[in-house]
Amino acid sequence: MSSAIESESSLPESWQVDLPMFEGPLDLLLHLVRVNEVEITEIPVTVICDQFQEYLHLMEELNLDIAAEYIYEAALLIFLKSRMLLPRQSEESDESGDDPREDLVQRLLEYRKMKDAAQSLAEIHTLRQGVWTRPHQKLPEIESDETIDFGEVSLFDLLGAFKQVVVRYEHEHPPPWHIKRDFFSVRGQFERLLERLAPKRPLDLVEDLRDRSCRAEAVAAFLAVLELARLRLVRVHRTDKGDLLLYRTPREIQQHELEAIQG
Amino acid sequence: MSERKEMEAAIEAVLFVATDPVPRARMLELFGSRDQKKAEEALDAVLDRYQASEERGLMAEVVAGGIRIITRPELHGYLRKFFEVSGRSRLSMASLETLAIIAYRQPITGPEIQELRGVGSAGVVRTLLERRLIRISGRKKVVGKPFLYRTTREFLMHFGLESMEDLPPLEEFEEVFGIVDTNLAETEVEAPTVDASVP
Repeated sequence: MSSAIESESSLPESWQVDLPMFEGPLDLLLHLVRVNEVEITEIPVTVICDQFQEYLHLMEELNLDIAAEYIYEAALLIFLKSRMLLPRQSEESDESGDDPREDLVQRLLEYRKMKDAAQSLAEIHTLRQGVWTRPHQKLPEIESDETIDFGEVSLFDLLGAFKQVVVRYEHEHPPPWHIKRDFFSVRGQFERLLERLAPKRPLDLVEDLRDRSCRAEAVAAFLAVLELARLRLVRVHRTDKGDLLLYRTPREIQQHELEAIQG
Repeated sequence: MSERKEMEAAIEAVLFVATDPVPRARMLELFGSRDQKKAEEALDAVLDRYQASEERGLMAEVVAGGIRIITRPELHGYLRKFFEVSGRSRLSMASLETLAIIAYRQPITGPEIQELRGVGSAGVVRTLLERRLIRISGRKKVVGKPFLYRTTREFLMHFGLESMEDLPPLEEFEEVFGIVDTNLAETEVEAPTVDASVP
């Protein structure tokens, strides 16, 4: 902090002030009480008030931000000072606890208690920094319902266990699905249709195509029908309703014709 | 006799593995109801063996309602060097003040802390919460329903306290500090006699 002051302020070196760090206005007040060597209960408001103000001016000169809490306490001190300057209304009030400082005194006493406690905690904290313990770790998980008795494990137990592992592994790692591309050949459809076509019994083409498993098979079947027609193995009739009927001709298929049909 | 030795060994083993302070009663549950007296003796023997001593790196401490094994604080430097720990966890004076207020006046709300310290303390309270030294224990039934704060088990462990009753009473501080002053005055007066008695 002092280095910051050195660099930022243009004050001559002799002006450098070693400012103690205060935790707040109450801390500063305690400091002033200590410096003035007075009891908290006998706090000389006028003196302390002036010193408090001086300190705030000093902070201002050093361009330190003055927290609102300081200003609040300063205002309170000024208020107390004015109260102290006013003549007491009666002599009795002096002893009947009508001291305007009382509230402040109580706060300072309580704060000093806490500060002392904090100081002692700080000392313990420093000491306890040196204490190391085992880090948290996961304990081995042993299933409580199954007792492990190594004496009774036979080779068969081991094999059984291994089999279980394999079964579980296979269950958890099923073999991959091999997706095959369906392949329909015109020749396959050609042969199928030829087989289905009984003599004199018509085959409904549209119905047959509709029964195919997929588009590719239907296309292959349709091409096969064209081949059948080209080789004059079927005749295609169109009914009045628009149905297409295939009739088998009496012509027999030649081997070379069949072989000529491309897949 | 050998049974007693085994008890001691078992207690030592549990303390070694446990990462949390082991309550005394929980430790004694290890042994049968008829052996409780012997078990108590065994436990005390182990605690005795684990008292801080110069030739040992470990010691037992009774903290947060249980017993645990810790390293001797004096060996901090070696541990830091070995585990290459450079930073120190510091608690600022503001944190310590706030912690002291919460410890001695719990349960207490944020505004009450601020009143006692004379400065805003929300940031400090948050830091203490993050370090798990304090916890929110509820809300006060007043306007605004502010959170109430309490110290944690972590707090006891960090400060090596067996329970909250182990916190030095506040009045004691005053006395201690008062006594320190009078002692100083007395020693100044008695200084010559003290010097004479010391060879």
